[in-house]
Amino acid sequence: MSAPLRTLAPKVQPMKVLIVDDTRLARQELRTLLAELADVECVGEADDVPAAQAAIEALQPDLVLLDIQMPSGTGFDVLEGLDHAPLVVFTTAYDHYAVQAFEANALDYLVKPVVPERLGAAIDRARVRRAATEPVDTDPRGLLGLDDQVFLRDGERCWFVALHEVSRIVVDGNYARVWFRDEKAMLARSLSALEARLDPALFFRANRNTLVNLRMVKNIDLAVGEGYDLTLKDGSTVEVSRRQARELRERLAL
Amino acid sequence: MMRTDVRFALLNLIPAVLYAGFIIMSFTMMGGPTAAAWWLACSLGAGLWLATGILRTVALRRNWFALGAGALLARLTASVVVGAFVVQFAVRVVIETADMLGFYRLPPSDTYGVREAVVYAVQVALILWLWVAAWAGWHLLRHRRQSEMARLRAESQSNALELDALRARLNPHFVFNALNNVRALINEEPGRAREVVTRLSNILRHALEHSQRESASLGEELAVVDDYLAVESVHYEERLKVHRDIARDALDAQLPPMLLQLLVENAIKHGIARTPGGGELGVSAWRLQGKLAIEVSNPGRVEHSGRGHGVGLAYLRARLAREPGSDFHLQQNGPRVLARLEIAQ
Repeated sequence: MSAPLRTLAPKVQPMKVLIVDDTRLARQELRTLLAELADVECVGEADDVPAAQAAIEALQPDLVLLDIQMPSGTGFDVLEGLDHAPLVVFTTAYDHYAVQAFEANALDYLVKPVVPERLGAAIDRARVRRAATEPVDTDPRGLLGLDDQVFLRDGERCWFVALHEVSRIVVDGNYARVWFRDEKAMLARSLSALEARLDPALFFRANRNTLVNLRMVKNIDLAVGEGYDLTLKDGSTVEVSRRQARELRERLAL
Repeated sequence: MMRTDVRFALLNLIPAVLYAGFIIMSFTMMGGPTAAAWWLACSLGAGLWLATGILRTVALRRNWFALGAGALLARLTASVVVGAFVVQFAVRVVIETADMLGFYRLPPSDTYGVREAVVYAVQVALILWLWVAAWAGWHLLRHRRQSEMARLRAESQSNALELDALRARLNPHFVFNALNNVRALINEEPGRAREVVTRLSNILRHALEHSQRESASLGEELAVVDDYLAVESVHYEERLKVHRDIARDALDAQLPPMLLQLLVENAIKHGIARTPGGGELGVSAWRLQGKLAIEVSNPGRVEHSGRGHGVGLAYLRARLAREPGSDFHLQQNGPRVLARLEIAQ
């Protein structure tokens, strides 16, 4: 319904930008800079980690300008608490080495005082990325699509990972261990909380401990008993429990 | 024995074999090598190989290359002369022994006396000299390059230390945040922006100029801290409250420059900035039994491994090591962190 509207619209949808910084003057400065850019709308401000998380959930911005050091934590903590990571441009006065912990994939940072042209370029890049993931848009059930990205952290290293890059998610205590590309990282959430946000057509609960990305399945073999063994594209194997085997058959019959 | 010694011994076979080959060649031109010529060539080659090996070992062990040019030259010349006589004598011994044992017959024309010994020794000395010139030249070149590299390494190390110290005095995070705030203030409150620029200039000038000074009065140091806090309160606004309690008679007490500011900076960076809603920063100073006592306190907890925490305090401790009778400790005091500094007067 919204898709045809967009193609008919004469103007580009403005980028909805959220500013997160603990200093009022720094937020004010970014507002001033954003006001000079076309098709950009500042939808709100936040000054600390919990406020930022609440604002991202409530305002669903296209892009977050995210400060790194805040009173109760870092910009990374903000992202780690979210089911679905928005597009982010980090802003920092000096410690850009913190941002370099990121693997090369598509991450921007700006140093303060922000050069207006740099901000414009970062917004343009975010616009391109938004357009690339547009079709998913918001699922009516609030489920995440294949192009939606999650923020993952493992010690000093951080990643933005699109769900289609994830091969499986395994319970590890109160956390979930996510396997993606050739890496793995912890996600501070329970498997059932995660499952609730994932599209059941994409992710399948193979057994009590494991969610599998069905598009990453290479082979299905009959196992002893009535279960199956799934071989994933990354070479790992996952057992499908007897209880879930029937579910899998039904899913595949579709 | 080290790998370089083995490599040298192998490489050194080349001149020895070449020399032996040269002797065989000259005999060939004089009518074909005899068994005696082979013995002579091989023992001379081996003698040269051994003598140069020993010379190298002695020269390196005794560190001849660290000596002056004259001393080095004298030692090398003496070794060549001694080496030449020893080698030619040893060769003669080998040849005569082999003759006695009946491996071959020395030609009847062969004679050996003082004159022959000197002539042979001069020949060996010439060869040894060629060898020593090549080897010592190459060694000197390498020695010079290595000491150049050691000097550069030491220089870069001391530069890194200086840079660390400068960073400790002039926190770039603070400077860039201040500039960012000034840019916002220019629109919002131009008069205040001008004041912040003045304060910031004072701080920068002080940091650059006072880096060489050994001590400053507490009054001077407090003036910088005032500038610093004025800039920081633009950044933190109502989140930063300052409580000052300075005894009047402490103002002329002396202390190493920048240390007080470093403590105040840490109190903000690790206390005020990390506390939601901010809090109160306390600075107090007084005289105590011939010492100046300073306390800086902030809300928060003492951290031991926080990133960036180390540089400033390491600088402070290194600086205090040069102040006899000084003392510093950082302690948890309820919900606050208390840094206490004592400087002997």
